[in-house]
Amino acid sequence: MANRKINNIRLGIFVLAGLCFLILGLYFIGKDENIFGASFRLKANFENASGLVPGNNVLYAGIQVGTVKKVNLINDTLIEVVMSINEKAKKHIRKNALASIGTEGFIGNKIVNILPGEGPATFIEENDIISAKKAISTDDMLETLAVSNRNIADITVELKTAVQRINYSTAIWKLLNDETLPSNIRATVENLRSASAKANSFVASLQSMAEDVKAGKGSLGQLVTDTSIARQLYKALEKINAAGDQAEKLAGTLQQMTAGIDQDINNGKGIAHSLLKDSLVVLKLNSSLDNIEKGTRAFNENMEALKNNFLFRGYFKKLEKQKKVSKKF
Amino acid sequence: MPLPLSTRKILAETGALSRFTGKFFTTGIKPRYEWNELIRQCFVIGYRSLPLVALTGFIMGLVLTMQLRPSLVDYGVESQLPAMVAIAIVREIGPVITALIFAGKIGSSIGAELGSMKVTEQIDAMEVSGTNPFKFLVVTRVLSATLMLPILVILSDVISLYGSYLGVNIRSTTSFNLFFSQVIDNLSYSDVIPAFIKSYFFGFAVGIIGCFKGYHSNKGTEGVGQSANSAVVVASIMIFILDLIAVQITDLLGIN
Repeated sequence: MANRKINNIRLGIFVLAGLCFLILGLYFIGKDENIFGASFRLKANFENASGLVPGNNVLYAGIQVGTVKKVNLINDTLIEVVMSINEKAKKHIRKNALASIGTEGFIGNKIVNILPGEGPATFIEENDIISAKKAISTDDMLETLAVSNRNIADITVELKTAVQRINYSTAIWKLLNDETLPSNIRATVENLRSASAKANSFVASLQSMAEDVKAGKGSLGQLVTDTSIARQLYKALEKINAAGDQAEKLAGTLQQMTAGIDQDINNGKGIAHSLLKDSLVVLKLNSSLDNIEKGTRAFNENMEALKNNFLFRGYFKKLEKQKKVSKKF
Repeated sequence: MPLPLSTRKILAETGALSRFTGKFFTTGIKPRYEWNELIRQCFVIGYRSLPLVALTGFIMGLVLTMQLRPSLVDYGVESQLPAMVAIAIVREIGPVITALIFAGKIGSSIGAELGSMKVTEQIDAMEVSGTNPFKFLVVTRVLSATLMLPILVILSDVISLYGSYLGVNIRSTTSFNLFFSQVIDNLSYSDVIPAFIKSYFFGFAVGIIGCFKGYHSNKGTEGVGQSANSAVVVASIMIFILDLIAVQITDLLGIN
Protein backbone atom coordinates (compact mmCIF):
# COMPACT_ATOMS: atom_id res chain seq x y z
CA MET A 1 0.00 0.00 0.00
CA ALA A 2 2.87 2.36 0.88
CA ASN A 3 4.49 1.53 -2.42
CA ARG A 4 1.30 2.43 -4.19
CA LYS A 5 1.21 5.81 -2.45
CA ILE A 6 4.75 6.59 -3.57
CA ASN A 7 3.82 5.60 -7.09
CA ASN A 8 0.84 7.92 -6.96
CA ILE A 9 3.06 10.77 -5.81
CA ARG A 10 5.46 10.06 -8.65
CA LEU A 11 2.60 10.06 -11.09
CA GLY A 12 1.36 13.32 -9.65
CA ILE A 13 4.76 14.94 -10.06
CA PHE A 14 4.99 13.60 -13.60
CA VAL A 15 1.58 14.94 -14.61
CA LEU A 16 2.06 18.26 -12.88
CA ALA A 17 5.48 18.75 -14.45
CA GLY A 18 4.02 18.12 -17.89
CA LEU A 19 1.10 20.46 -17.32
CA CYS A 20 3.41 23.10 -15.81
CA PHE A 21 5.62 23.08 -18.89
CA LEU A 22 2.57 23.28 -21.13
CA ILE A 23 1.09 26.20 -19.24
CA LEU A 24 4.44 28.02 -19.01
CA GLY A 25 5.03 27.53 -22.71
CA LEU A 26 1.57 28.76 -23.59
CA TYR A 27 1.99 31.72 -21.23
CA PHE A 28 5.31 32.82 -22.70
CA ILE A 29 4.07 32.44 -26.24
CA GLY A 30 0.90 34.31 -25.33
CA LYS A 31 2.90 37.05 -23.61
CA ASP A 32 4.84 37.42 -26.82
CA GLU A 33 1.62 37.80 -28.76
CA ASN A 34 0.20 40.22 -26.22
CA ILE A 35 -2.75 38.03 -25.31
CA PHE A 36 -2.38 38.57 -21.58
CA GLY A 37 -2.06 41.97 -19.99
CA ALA A 38 -3.72 45.24 -20.85
CA SER A 39 -3.33 46.51 -24.36
CA PHE A 40 -4.87 49.15 -26.57
CA ARG A 41 -5.47 49.56 -30.27
CA LEU A 42 -3.44 51.76 -32.54
CA LYS A 43 -3.95 52.21 -36.26
CA ALA A 44 -1.77 53.24 -39.14
CA ASN A 45 -2.65 53.57 -42.82
CA PHE A 46 -0.20 52.36 -45.41
CA GLU A 47 -0.16 52.37 -49.15
CA ASN A 48 1.44 48.95 -49.24
CA ALA A 49 1.29 46.30 -46.54
CA SER A 50 4.46 44.64 -47.91
CA GLY A 51 3.26 41.22 -46.77
CA LEU A 52 2.40 42.19 -43.21
CA VAL A 53 0.17 39.59 -41.51
CA PRO A 54 -1.60 39.48 -38.15
CA GLY A 55 0.81 38.36 -35.44
CA ASN A 56 3.81 40.29 -36.76
CA ASN A 57 5.68 42.24 -34.13
CA VAL A 58 5.37 45.98 -33.54
CA LEU A 59 8.55 47.69 -32.40
CA TYR A 60 8.78 51.12 -30.84
CA ALA A 61 12.32 52.49 -31.13
CA GLY A 62 13.53 48.89 -31.50
CA ILE A 63 11.67 47.44 -28.50
CA GLN A 64 8.75 45.09 -28.95
CA VAL A 65 5.60 46.79 -27.71
CA GLY A 66 2.87 44.77 -29.41
CA THR A 67 1.64 42.80 -32.37
CA VAL A 68 -0.32 43.38 -35.54
CA LYS A 69 -3.98 42.49 -34.95
CA LYS A 70 -5.53 43.04 -38.35
CA VAL A 71 -4.61 44.16 -41.83
CA ASN A 72 -7.69 45.63 -43.52
CA LEU A 73 -8.01 46.70 -47.12
CA ILE A 74 -9.88 50.03 -46.97
CA ASN A 75 -9.75 51.03 -50.61
CA ASP A 76 -7.57 50.55 -53.65
CA THR A 77 -4.66 52.57 -52.26
CA LEU A 78 -5.19 52.43 -48.51
CA ILE A 79 -4.47 49.61 -46.11
CA GLU A 80 -5.31 49.95 -42.46
CA VAL A 81 -3.05 48.11 -40.03
CA VAL A 82 -4.58 47.63 -36.58
CA MET A 83 -2.01 47.02 -33.89
CA SER A 84 -2.42 45.84 -30.33
CA ILE A 85 0.06 47.78 -28.22
CA ASN A 86 1.05 47.09 -24.64
CA GLU A 87 -0.57 49.50 -22.21
CA LYS A 88 2.86 50.23 -20.73
CA ALA A 89 4.00 51.81 -24.00
CA LYS A 90 1.10 54.25 -23.98
CA LYS A 91 2.93 56.80 -21.92
CA HIS A 92 5.91 56.78 -24.28
CA ILE A 93 4.42 56.95 -27.77
CA ARG A 94 3.32 60.40 -28.93
CA LYS A 95 0.78 61.38 -31.56
CA ASN A 96 3.40 62.46 -34.08
CA ALA A 97 5.09 59.04 -34.08
CA LEU A 98 5.75 57.52 -37.51
CA ALA A 99 5.00 53.93 -38.45
CA SER A 100 6.88 52.07 -41.16
CA ILE A 101 6.98 48.49 -42.32
CA GLY A 102 10.34 46.78 -42.18
CA THR A 103 11.83 43.34 -41.83
CA GLU A 104 13.62 41.56 -39.02
CA GLY A 105 17.08 41.27 -40.43
CA PHE A 106 17.35 41.05 -44.20
CA ILE A 107 15.07 38.09 -44.89
CA GLY A 108 13.19 37.85 -41.63
CA ASN A 109 9.55 38.41 -40.75
CA LYS A 110 7.82 41.69 -41.49
CA ILE A 111 7.55 44.10 -38.59
CA VAL A 112 5.97 47.48 -37.95
CA ASN A 113 8.49 50.03 -36.71
CA ILE A 114 7.09 52.96 -34.77
CA LEU A 115 9.60 55.75 -34.54
CA PRO A 116 9.34 58.88 -32.37
CA GLY A 117 8.37 61.96 -34.37
CA GLU A 118 10.10 65.31 -34.19
CA GLY A 119 8.83 68.11 -32.02
CA PRO A 120 6.39 68.09 -29.12
CA ALA A 121 3.06 66.26 -29.22
CA THR A 122 0.60 64.76 -26.79
CA PHE A 123 0.56 61.08 -25.98
CA ILE A 124 -1.46 58.65 -28.07
CA GLU A 125 -4.87 57.40 -27.09
CA GLU A 126 -7.02 54.39 -27.87
CA ASN A 127 -7.79 53.96 -31.60
CA ASP A 128 -5.48 56.78 -32.69
CA ILE A 129 -4.23 56.73 -36.26
CA ILE A 130 -0.56 57.55 -36.53
CA SER A 131 1.01 58.63 -39.79
CA ALA A 132 2.91 56.14 -41.88
CA LYS A 133 6.27 56.55 -43.45
CA LYS A 134 7.10 54.81 -46.69
CA ALA A 135 10.04 52.59 -45.91
CA ILE A 136 12.70 51.76 -48.43
CA SER A 137 11.75 48.38 -49.73
CA THR A 138 14.03 45.82 -51.26
CA ASP A 139 12.38 46.49 -54.62
CA ASP A 140 13.31 50.19 -54.45
CA MET A 141 16.84 49.24 -53.50
CA LEU A 142 17.03 46.82 -56.40
CA GLU A 143 15.72 49.49 -58.75
CA THR A 144 18.46 51.87 -57.64
CA LEU A 145 20.94 49.06 -57.94
CA ALA A 146 19.79 48.41 -61.51
CA VAL A 147 20.56 52.03 -62.42
CA SER A 148 23.96 51.77 -60.74
CA ASN A 149 24.61 48.54 -62.61
CA ARG A 150 23.82 50.21 -65.91
CA ASN A 151 26.19 53.04 -65.03
CA ILE A 152 28.88 50.55 -64.09
CA ALA A 153 28.36 48.79 -67.41
CA ASP A 154 28.82 52.10 -69.26
CA ILE A 155 31.91 52.88 -67.24
CA THR A 156 33.43 49.48 -67.91
CA VAL A 157 32.86 49.95 -71.64
CA GLU A 158 34.68 53.29 -71.48
CA LEU A 159 37.40 51.72 -69.37
CA LYS A 160 37.74 48.93 -71.90
CA THR A 161 38.29 51.34 -74.78
CA ALA A 162 40.72 53.33 -72.67
CA VAL A 163 42.70 50.22 -71.80
CA GLN A 164 42.65 49.12 -75.43
CA ARG A 165 43.97 52.46 -76.54
CA ILE A 166 46.71 52.23 -73.95
CA ASN A 167 47.50 48.71 -75.15
CA TYR A 168 47.79 49.76 -78.79
CA SER A 169 49.71 52.94 -78.02
CA THR A 170 53.38 52.39 -78.95
CA ALA A 171 54.53 55.56 -77.22
CA ILE A 172 53.42 54.42 -73.77
CA TRP A 173 54.89 50.95 -74.25
CA LYS A 174 58.13 52.47 -75.47
CA LEU A 175 58.16 54.62 -72.40
CA LEU A 176 57.42 51.62 -70.21
CA ASN A 177 60.00 49.42 -71.94
CA ASP A 178 62.69 52.10 -71.83
CA GLU A 179 65.29 50.72 -69.46
CA THR A 180 67.14 54.00 -69.16
CA LEU A 181 64.03 55.72 -67.88
CA PRO A 182 64.35 54.54 -64.29
CA SER A 183 67.95 55.62 -64.08
CA ASN A 184 67.03 58.97 -65.63
CA ILE A 185 64.22 59.39 -63.20
CA ARG A 186 66.55 58.41 -60.43
CA ALA A 187 69.08 61.00 -61.60
CA THR A 188 66.33 63.59 -61.85
CA VAL A 189 65.21 62.77 -58.38
CA GLU A 190 68.81 62.97 -57.23
CA ASN A 191 69.13 66.41 -58.82
CA LEU A 192 65.90 67.48 -57.30
CA ARG A 193 67.13 66.29 -53.97
CA SER A 194 70.41 68.20 -54.23
CA ALA A 195 68.52 71.25 -55.52
CA SER A 196 66.19 71.07 -52.62
CA ALA A 197 69.15 70.64 -50.27
CA LYS A 198 70.72 73.75 -51.80
CA ALA A 199 67.47 75.57 -51.54
CA ASN A 200 67.38 74.48 -47.97
CA SER A 201 70.84 75.83 -47.22
CA PHE A 202 69.99 78.99 -49.15
CA VAL A 203 66.93 79.47 -47.06
CA ALA A 204 69.02 78.78 -43.98
CA SER A 205 71.55 81.45 -44.93
CA LEU A 206 68.72 83.83 -45.78
CA GLN A 207 67.38 83.15 -42.40
CA SER A 208 70.69 83.80 -40.73
CA MET A 209 70.98 87.00 -42.78
CA ALA A 210 67.58 88.04 -41.68
CA GLU A 211 68.58 87.27 -38.13
CA ASP A 212 71.77 89.39 -38.60
CA VAL A 213 69.70 92.22 -39.98
CA LYS A 214 67.40 91.91 -37.04
CA ALA A 215 70.36 91.97 -34.72
CA GLY A 216 71.72 95.12 -36.46
CA LYS A 217 74.84 93.62 -38.05
CA GLY A 218 76.15 94.95 -41.45
CA SER A 219 75.13 98.06 -43.37
CA LEU A 220 71.62 96.83 -44.09
CA GLY A 221 71.28 95.99 -40.47
CA GLN A 222 72.40 99.46 -39.50
CA LEU A 223 70.08 100.93 -42.02
CA VAL A 224 67.24 98.98 -40.53
CA THR A 225 68.15 99.32 -36.91
CA ASP A 226 69.98 102.73 -36.63
CA THR A 227 67.43 105.34 -35.61
CA SER A 228 69.77 108.33 -36.26
CA ILE A 229 69.74 107.58 -39.99
CA ALA A 230 66.07 108.21 -40.07
CA ARG A 231 66.61 111.61 -38.45
CA GLN A 232 69.31 112.51 -40.96
CA LEU A 233 67.15 111.34 -43.78
CA TYR A 234 64.43 113.57 -42.46
CA LYS A 235 66.74 116.55 -42.37
CA ALA A 236 67.92 115.85 -45.90
CA LEU A 237 64.41 115.69 -47.07
CA GLU A 238 63.69 119.00 -45.41
CA LYS A 239 66.63 120.56 -47.19
CA ILE A 240 65.51 119.15 -50.51
CA ASN A 241 62.15 120.61 -49.76
CA ALA A 242 63.66 124.06 -49.08
CA ALA A 243 65.72 123.86 -52.28
CA GLY A 244 62.58 123.05 -54.14
CA ASP A 245 60.94 126.13 -52.69
CA GLN A 246 63.85 128.32 -53.83
CA ALA A 247 63.77 126.78 -57.27
CA GLU A 248 60.14 127.67 -57.43
CA LYS A 249 60.96 131.29 -56.58
CA LEU A 250 63.67 131.33 -59.24
CA ALA A 251 61.24 130.01 -61.78
CA GLY A 252 58.87 132.77 -60.77
CA THR A 253 61.53 135.46 -61.35
CA LEU A 254 62.47 133.91 -64.67
CA GLN A 255 58.90 134.01 -65.69
CA GLN A 256 58.62 137.66 -64.76
CA MET A 257 61.77 138.42 -66.76
CA THR A 258 60.53 136.71 -69.89
CA ALA A 259 57.23 138.44 -69.46
CA GLY A 260 59.11 141.81 -69.33
CA ILE A 261 61.14 140.97 -72.42
CA ASP A 262 58.01 139.95 -74.21
CA GLN A 263 56.39 143.24 -73.30
CA ASP A 264 59.49 145.21 -74.45
CA ILE A 265 59.48 143.46 -77.77
CA ASN A 266 55.83 144.03 -78.35
CA ASN A 267 55.82 147.68 -77.16
CA GLY A 268 58.79 148.87 -79.28
CA LYS A 269 61.71 149.34 -76.91
CA GLY A 270 65.35 148.37 -77.60
CA ILE A 271 67.21 146.84 -80.60
CA ALA A 272 65.39 143.58 -80.71
CA HIS A 273 62.11 145.38 -81.20
CA SER A 274 63.44 147.53 -84.07
CA LEU A 275 65.02 144.49 -85.65
CA LEU A 276 61.93 142.38 -85.42
CA LYS A 277 59.08 144.83 -85.69
CA ASP A 278 60.25 148.16 -87.49
CA SER A 279 59.50 147.90 -91.26
CA LEU A 280 61.43 151.12 -91.97
CA VAL A 281 64.68 149.60 -90.80
CA VAL A 282 64.12 146.80 -93.25
CA LEU A 283 63.74 149.21 -96.20
CA LYS A 284 66.88 151.06 -95.14
CA LEU A 285 68.81 147.84 -94.87
CA ASN A 286 67.61 146.82 -98.34
CA SER A 287 68.79 150.08 -99.93
CA SER A 288 72.12 149.77 -98.10
CA LEU A 289 72.59 146.30 -99.50
CA ASP A 290 71.77 147.62 -103.06
CA ASN A 291 74.34 150.34 -102.66
CA ILE A 292 76.95 147.81 -101.54
CA GLU A 293 76.14 145.66 -104.63
CA LYS A 294 76.53 148.64 -106.95
CA GLY A 295 79.79 149.53 -105.20
CA THR A 296 81.27 146.07 -105.64
CA ARG A 297 80.28 145.99 -109.34
CA ALA A 298 82.06 149.30 -109.92
CA PHE A 299 85.04 147.96 -108.03
CA ASN A 300 85.04 144.85 -110.30
CA GLU A 301 85.14 147.11 -113.39
CA ASN A 302 88.03 149.05 -111.86
CA MET A 303 89.96 145.84 -111.30
CA GLU A 304 89.38 144.70 -114.94
CA ALA A 305 90.76 148.03 -116.02
CA LEU A 306 93.79 147.51 -113.80
CA LYS A 307 94.45 144.09 -115.37
CA ASN A 308 94.57 145.57 -118.79
CA ASN A 309 96.82 148.37 -117.63
CA PHE A 310 100.47 147.78 -118.66
CA LEU A 311 101.81 148.54 -115.30
CA PHE A 312 100.05 145.64 -113.79
CA ARG A 313 99.86 143.22 -116.88
CA GLY A 314 103.11 141.38 -115.95
CA TYR A 315 101.89 140.63 -112.47
CA PHE A 316 98.65 139.13 -113.75
CA LYS A 317 100.41 136.94 -116.37
CA LYS A 318 102.71 135.53 -113.67
CA LEU A 319 99.69 134.69 -111.60
CA GLU A 320 98.11 132.75 -114.54
CA LYS A 321 101.33 130.77 -115.08
CA GLN A 322 101.44 129.73 -111.43
CA LYS A 323 97.81 128.56 -111.74
CA LYS A 324 98.64 126.37 -114.80
CA VAL A 325 101.67 124.79 -113.01
CA SER A 326 99.57 123.90 -109.98
CA LYS A 327 96.94 122.37 -112.35
CA LYS A 328 99.60 120.11 -114.06
CA PHE A 329 100.68 118.56 -110.78
CA MET B 1 -16.92 -10.06 -57.54
CA PRO B 2 -15.37 -11.60 -54.43
CA LEU B 3 -12.72 -9.42 -52.83
CA PRO B 4 -9.24 -10.88 -52.27
CA LEU B 5 -8.74 -12.58 -48.95
CA SER B 6 -6.25 -10.02 -47.66
CA THR B 7 -8.57 -7.14 -48.46
CA ARG B 8 -11.46 -8.87 -46.76
CA LYS B 9 -9.26 -9.49 -43.77
CA ILE B 10 -8.28 -5.83 -43.54
CA LEU B 11 -11.87 -4.70 -43.87
CA ALA B 12 -12.93 -7.21 -41.18
CA GLU B 13 -10.19 -5.98 -38.88
CA THR B 14 -11.21 -2.37 -39.45
CA GLY B 15 -14.82 -3.21 -38.72
CA ALA B 16 -13.94 -5.12 -35.57
CA LEU B 17 -11.69 -2.27 -34.41
CA SER B 18 -14.48 0.23 -35.00
CA ARG B 19 -16.91 -1.91 -33.04
CA PHE B 20 -14.30 -2.23 -30.27
CA THR B 21 -13.87 1.56 -30.20
CA GLY B 22 -17.61 2.05 -30.02
CA LYS B 23 -17.79 -0.44 -27.15
CA PHE B 24 -15.05 1.52 -25.38
CA PHE B 25 -17.15 4.68 -25.47
CA THR B 26 -20.43 3.02 -24.53
CA THR B 27 -18.86 1.07 -21.68
CA GLY B 28 -16.51 3.83 -20.61
CA ILE B 29 -19.11 6.48 -19.91
CA LYS B 30 -21.22 4.20 -17.75
CA PRO B 31 -20.63 4.60 -13.99
CA ARG B 32 -18.62 2.50 -11.65
CA TYR B 33 -15.34 3.90 -12.78
CA GLU B 34 -12.18 2.01 -11.94
CA TRP B 35 -10.28 5.00 -10.52
CA ASN B 36 -7.60 3.06 -8.70
CA GLU B 37 -6.84 0.90 -11.70
CA LEU B 38 -6.81 4.00 -13.94
CA ILE B 39 -4.23 5.71 -11.72
CA ARG B 40 -2.13 2.55 -11.54
CA GLN B 41 -2.23 2.26 -15.31
CA CYS B 42 -1.34 5.95 -15.67
CA PHE B 43 1.70 5.34 -13.48
CA VAL B 44 2.74 2.28 -15.45
CA ILE B 45 2.03 3.71 -18.86
CA GLY B 46 3.05 7.34 -18.29
CA TYR B 47 5.64 7.55 -15.57
CA ARG B 48 7.46 4.36 -16.51
CA SER B 49 7.79 5.53 -20.11
CA LEU B 50 9.40 8.81 -19.15
CA PRO B 51 13.07 7.69 -19.08
CA LEU B 52 12.82 6.16 -22.55
CA VAL B 53 10.95 9.14 -23.98
CA ALA B 54 13.33 11.59 -22.30
CA LEU B 55 16.38 9.85 -23.71
CA THR B 56 15.03 9.69 -27.25
CA GLY B 57 13.80 13.28 -27.02
CA PHE B 58 17.15 14.55 -25.83
CA ILE B 59 19.00 12.72 -28.56
CA MET B 60 16.52 13.88 -31.19
CA GLY B 61 16.98 17.55 -30.19
CA LEU B 62 20.75 17.32 -30.14
CA VAL B 63 21.03 15.39 -33.39
CA LEU B 64 18.49 17.52 -35.24
CA THR B 65 20.38 20.67 -34.25
CA MET B 66 23.69 19.28 -35.37
CA GLN B 67 22.23 17.95 -38.62
CA LEU B 68 20.46 21.19 -39.54
CA ARG B 69 23.40 23.37 -38.67
CA PRO B 70 25.57 22.92 -41.81
CA SER B 71 22.70 23.77 -44.17
CA LEU B 72 21.82 26.86 -42.19
CA VAL B 73 25.46 27.91 -42.13
CA ASP B 74 25.47 27.56 -45.94
CA TYR B 75 22.58 30.01 -46.15
CA GLY B 76 24.11 32.29 -43.55
CA VAL B 77 21.15 32.01 -41.19
CA GLU B 78 22.85 30.11 -38.41
CA SER B 79 21.15 32.43 -35.94
CA GLN B 80 17.82 30.93 -36.96
CA LEU B 81 18.89 27.48 -35.74
CA PRO B 82 16.98 27.64 -32.42
CA ALA B 83 13.84 28.85 -34.17
CA MET B 84 14.02 26.14 -36.79
CA VAL B 85 14.71 23.33 -34.34
CA ALA B 86 11.98 24.58 -32.00
CA ILE B 87 9.36 24.60 -34.74
CA ALA B 88 10.44 21.18 -36.03
CA ILE B 89 10.38 19.63 -32.57
CA VAL B 90 7.18 21.20 -31.29
CA ARG B 91 5.16 20.76 -34.45
CA GLU B 92 6.22 17.36 -35.69
CA ILE B 93 9.23 15.55 -34.30
CA GLY B 94 8.20 15.70 -30.64
CA PRO B 95 4.67 14.28 -31.00
CA VAL B 96 5.48 11.71 -33.68
CA ILE B 97 8.73 10.34 -32.26
CA THR B 98 7.30 10.20 -28.76
CA ALA B 99 4.17 8.49 -30.01
CA LEU B 100 6.22 5.92 -31.94
CA ILE B 101 8.37 5.17 -28.90
CA PHE B 102 5.19 5.01 -26.84
CA ALA B 103 3.65 2.61 -29.34
CA GLY B 104 6.75 0.44 -29.20
CA LYS B 105 6.78 0.30 -25.44
CA ILE B 106 3.13 0.56 -24.38
CA GLY B 107 1.36 -0.88 -27.42
CA SER B 108 3.39 -4.05 -27.28
CA SER B 109 3.10 -4.41 -23.51
CA ILE B 110 -0.68 -3.91 -23.56
CA GLY B 111 -1.01 -6.30 -26.48
CA ALA B 112 1.11 -8.96 -24.77
CA GLU B 113 -0.51 -8.49 -21.36
CA LEU B 114 -4.09 -8.66 -22.59
CA GLY B 115 -3.18 -11.39 -25.09
CA SER B 116 -1.72 -13.64 -22.39
CA MET B 117 -4.72 -12.91 -20.16
CA LYS B 118 -6.96 -13.86 -23.02
CA VAL B 119 -5.18 -17.12 -23.90
CA THR B 120 -4.91 -18.14 -20.23
CA GLU B 121 -8.65 -17.36 -19.93
CA GLN B 122 -8.16 -14.89 -17.12
CA ILE B 123 -10.53 -12.49 -18.86
CA ASP B 124 -13.25 -15.10 -18.85
CA ALA B 125 -12.56 -15.80 -15.17
CA MET B 126 -12.88 -12.09 -14.44
CA GLU B 127 -16.27 -12.00 -16.08
CA VAL B 128 -17.39 -14.94 -13.97
CA SER B 129 -16.22 -13.18 -10.78
CA GLY B 130 -18.52 -10.24 -11.53
CA THR B 131 -15.97 -7.67 -12.71
CA ASN B 132 -16.47 -6.14 -16.14
CA PRO B 133 -13.16 -7.12 -17.79
CA PHE B 134 -13.64 -4.61 -20.59
CA LYS B 135 -14.09 -1.80 -18.14
CA PHE B 136 -11.32 -2.93 -15.86
CA LEU B 137 -8.73 -3.81 -18.47
CA VAL B 138 -9.48 -1.91 -21.67
CA VAL B 139 -11.07 1.36 -20.60
CA THR B 140 -8.44 2.11 -17.95
CA ARG B 141 -5.55 1.33 -20.29
CA VAL B 142 -6.91 3.30 -23.25
CA LEU B 143 -7.81 6.26 -21.06
CA SER B 144 -4.44 6.34 -19.33
CA ALA B 145 -2.62 6.05 -22.69
CA THR B 146 -4.74 8.90 -24.07
CA LEU B 147 -4.08 11.11 -21.05
CA MET B 148 -0.40 10.29 -20.58
CA LEU B 149 0.95 10.66 -24.10
CA PRO B 150 0.35 14.43 -24.34
CA ILE B 151 2.19 14.93 -21.06
CA LEU B 152 5.02 12.75 -22.30
CA VAL B 153 5.08 14.78 -25.51
CA ILE B 154 5.39 18.08 -23.59
CA LEU B 155 8.19 16.74 -21.42
CA SER B 156 9.88 15.27 -24.48
CA ASP B 157 9.65 18.66 -26.25
CA VAL B 158 11.24 20.42 -23.28
CA ILE B 159 14.04 17.87 -23.04
CA SER B 160 14.55 17.98 -26.83
CA LEU B 161 14.88 21.76 -26.73
CA TYR B 162 17.41 21.45 -23.94
CA GLY B 163 19.32 18.95 -26.08
CA SER B 164 19.11 21.40 -28.93
CA TYR B 165 20.48 24.15 -26.68
CA LEU B 166 23.46 21.92 -25.91
CA GLY B 167 23.76 21.09 -29.63
CA VAL B 168 23.93 24.79 -30.53
CA ASN B 169 26.57 25.28 -27.88
CA ILE B 170 28.82 22.58 -29.30
CA ARG B 171 29.88 24.65 -32.29
CA SER B 172 28.95 28.16 -31.25
CA THR B 173 27.90 29.88 -28.08
CA THR B 174 24.50 31.08 -27.06
CA SER B 175 23.14 31.94 -23.67
CA PHE B 176 20.22 29.96 -22.33
CA ASN B 177 18.23 33.17 -22.17
CA LEU B 178 18.83 34.03 -25.81
CA PHE B 179 18.05 30.49 -26.93
CA PHE B 180 14.90 30.43 -24.86
CA SER B 181 13.63 33.80 -26.12
CA GLN B 182 14.45 32.85 -29.71
CA VAL B 183 12.44 29.66 -29.30
CA ILE B 184 9.50 31.42 -27.68
CA ASP B 185 9.57 34.28 -30.20
CA ASN B 186 9.25 31.88 -33.08
CA LEU B 187 6.57 29.68 -31.61
CA SER B 188 2.92 30.56 -31.70
CA TYR B 189 -0.26 28.93 -30.50
CA SER B 190 -0.79 27.53 -33.97
CA ASP B 191 2.40 25.51 -33.46
CA VAL B 192 1.71 24.25 -29.96
CA ILE B 193 -2.05 23.63 -29.75
CA PRO B 194 -2.54 21.38 -32.83
CA ALA B 195 0.49 19.34 -31.83
CA PHE B 196 -0.87 19.01 -28.31
CA ILE B 197 -4.32 17.97 -29.55
CA LYS B 198 -3.03 15.43 -32.02
CA SER B 199 -0.95 13.73 -29.34
CA TYR B 200 -4.24 12.82 -27.56
CA PHE B 201 -5.32 11.01 -30.70
CA PHE B 202 -1.95 9.29 -30.96
CA GLY B 203 -2.26 8.12 -27.35
CA PHE B 204 -5.79 6.92 -27.92
CA ALA B 205 -4.75 5.05 -31.06
CA VAL B 206 -1.87 3.31 -29.29
CA GLY B 207 -4.08 2.31 -26.36
CA ILE B 208 -7.07 1.13 -28.34
CA ILE B 209 -5.04 -0.82 -30.89
CA GLY B 210 -2.94 -2.48 -28.18
CA CYS B 211 -6.08 -3.46 -26.27
CA PHE B 212 -7.91 -4.62 -29.40
CA LYS B 213 -5.01 -6.80 -30.50
CA GLY B 214 -4.59 -8.28 -27.05
CA TYR B 215 -8.29 -8.75 -26.40
CA HIS B 216 -8.75 -10.60 -29.68
CA SER B 217 -5.61 -12.69 -29.60
CA ASN B 218 -5.91 -16.46 -29.98
CA LYS B 219 -3.90 -19.50 -30.95
CA GLY B 220 -2.18 -19.81 -27.61
CA THR B 221 1.20 -18.37 -26.71
CA GLU B 222 2.06 -17.92 -30.38
CA GLY B 223 -0.90 -15.59 -30.66
CA VAL B 224 0.38 -13.47 -27.76
CA GLY B 225 3.58 -12.64 -29.61
CA GLN B 226 1.64 -12.02 -32.78
CA SER B 227 -0.81 -9.67 -31.12
CA ALA B 228 2.01 -7.76 -29.40
CA ASN B 229 3.82 -7.40 -32.71
CA SER B 230 0.80 -6.39 -34.75
CA ALA B 231 -0.26 -3.94 -32.00
CA VAL B 232 3.03 -2.04 -32.48
CA VAL B 233 2.89 -2.18 -36.28
CA VAL B 234 -0.74 -1.09 -36.61
CA ALA B 235 -0.36 1.58 -33.92
CA SER B 236 2.70 3.03 -35.68
CA ILE B 237 0.91 3.13 -39.02
CA MET B 238 -2.12 4.64 -37.32
CA ILE B 239 0.06 7.38 -35.83
CA PHE B 240 1.26 8.39 -39.28
CA ILE B 241 -2.23 8.27 -40.75
CA LEU B 242 -3.53 10.43 -37.90
CA ASP B 243 -0.62 12.82 -38.44
CA LEU B 244 -1.59 13.12 -42.08
CA ILE B 245 -5.20 13.82 -41.16
CA ALA B 246 -4.13 16.34 -38.50
CA VAL B 247 -2.00 18.32 -40.90
CA GLN B 248 -4.85 18.39 -43.43
CA ILE B 249 -7.26 19.67 -40.79
CA THR B 250 -4.92 22.40 -39.52
CA ASP B 251 -4.25 23.40 -43.09
CA LEU B 252 -7.98 23.61 -43.84
CA LEU B 253 -8.56 25.64 -40.70
CA GLY B 254 -5.81 28.02 -41.80
CA ILE B 255 -3.77 27.74 -38.62
CA ASN B 256 -0.86 25.95 -40.22
